[in-house]
Amino acid sequence: MTAVISAVGLSKYYGNILGLNDVTLDIEPGITGLLGPNGAGKSTFMKLITGQMKPNIGAVTVRGRRAWNDPGIFRGIGFCPEPDAFYEDVTGREFLTGLLRLQGFPDAEADERAARALDVVDLAEARDRLIRGYSRGMRQRIKFAQAVAHDPEILILDEPLSGLDPLGKRKLIKLIKGYREQGRTILVSSHVLPEIEALTSRIVLIHQGKILAQGDVPYIRDLIESHPHQISVTSSDPRALAGRFIGDRSIQKMTFGEDGRTLVVETHKRDEFFGRLTQAVLAAGIEVDEVSSPDDNLQSVFEYLVEK
Amino acid sequence: MTAANPVRRIFRFFAFLGRRAGRTRVFAVLGLIPVVLAVVARVFLRGRTGLMADVFTEILMVFFLQFYIVLLALFYGTSVTAEEVENRTLSYLTTRALPKPAIVLGKYAAYSALIAALVAVSLTVSFFVLNAARLGQPDLYVTFLRYLGVLVLGILAYTAFFTFLGTVLKRAIILGLVFGFGWENVIQYFPGSTQKFSIVHYLKSLLPYRPAPVGAGGGRGVALLLFRLEPTKPLAAVLILAALTAGLLALAAWVFRTKEYLPED
Repeated sequence: MTAVISAVGLSKYYGNILGLNDVTLDIEPGITGLLGPNGAGKSTFMKLITGQMKPNIGAVTVRGRRAWNDPGIFRGIGFCPEPDAFYEDVTGREFLTGLLRLQGFPDAEADERAARALDVVDLAEARDRLIRGYSRGMRQRIKFAQAVAHDPEILILDEPLSGLDPLGKRKLIKLIKGYREQGRTILVSSHVLPEIEALTSRIVLIHQGKILAQGDVPYIRDLIESHPHQISVTSSDPRALAGRFIGDRSIQKMTFGEDGRTLVVETHKRDEFFGRLTQAVLAAGIEVDEVSSPDDNLQSVFEYLVEK
Repeated sequence: MTAANPVRRIFRFFAFLGRRAGRTRVFAVLGLIPVVLAVVARVFLRGRTGLMADVFTEILMVFFLQFYIVLLALFYGTSVTAEEVENRTLSYLTTRALPKPAIVLGKYAAYSALIAALVAVSLTVSFFVLNAARLGQPDLYVTFLRYLGVLVLGILAYTAFFTFLGTVLKRAIILGLVFGFGWENVIQYFPGSTQKFSIVHYLKSLLPYRPAPVGAGGGRGVALLLFRLEPTKPLAAVLILAALTAGLLALAAWVFRTKEYLPED
């Protein structure tokens, strides 16, 4: 397949701070998930693709055209920015029609497209309310609507699911998948793995401005599974519980918390451990108050991968 | 899709947003000051037509020329770029099929038109309140149009200057205040050619020149403001103001096209 977006040796610095470091990446039609913790360089990469920033080194092209100072490419690009920022004193409808007119659509068509986009994101009823009065989820949806209202072939979505409730997330995921079915190219960023996983199997891991890994979900999952996980179990008898796991080879380390009720386990096979934990708790009749994973977040996994 | 001029598209969008903005209402209220002064003067100077014309000249020089248009141009001009960066809305504009210079020029045009409308309303009402007794005299309307023309030229020049400042600097408003209410107010009284380094000098050069009476030691307000003016010829003043406006706008458009506007964080 031909790359729609292509980055070659792309680097961006903010003074002495490294925003993006030597990124070479081809993005093809379909959904590509850009996964990384906050500050990883996802937004920087998206701003470079959308010509809002100029690369210090390397180049990024969209359909073979350089993005910086080429407004023509934006007829085919829809960008959903990450910040919760709007022209607050306009209604949802005015916001969309205004931006569509800026895009060059005549008034009647702009009105028609705005109405359609509002309908798509379930904001038709709130169209004449000021954006200032929208809830976080509504603001996120109107932001998405402005990205798709002009029917672009390429969608660049920076954290589009943040701030949405589970139902809103599900609807938007379905919507984004619908655009994929139409053969469009979609780049979507998130710092939450399950969000990206729900959207696509094609994932690019980015951390500290570098592409750490790219591949499909099983590959990324394996990579993440290789990181030893810490699991904390608070129970009525942590020592009895620990006794049940003494012979378990999948466990690297066990320690007891200072409160005398917590057992902290380190394992490479988290899912297996959870299965055995249930059996052990039932067999020993131990009362469990809480099970949590102190390091079960992307940041710690990334840090582990970087060290590796 | 229409081929509507990108500058016109931006103009329309920001003329609409500008009308909606809360600060426009605040500045419109500020524009009532000369109207109130005119009404008060009319009540107290009943029948003294000449004196009322003098009062209007002072309102024009002190309020409109040296305060109101400078203040409006400062806030709207610097915000052409700065408000988009600070409010993080710039990406809505720069990711459209619009040349970047069109964003600056269209927004400048929209805000200049908005300022001109605010000033025109305030000027018209206060002028005709104070000159109500002379409504039948044709030269009154010529004078009014001349005043209005000078203020519009001032709006265009000052807004262009502050637009340029806003595209170049992050905290343009502070330097703008120093320029608008410091430099402009002081340098215009310098003798010789130094006063020509102020915008207000060229605006005053287009107004009827009234030297101070000999031995008056500065005289009353108007004389004080004008007594050291060494006016530039009207045609030259207009051309200089036009060139200044065009030059500053061209620079602002070029800076906006080449500069990256990064968020604070």
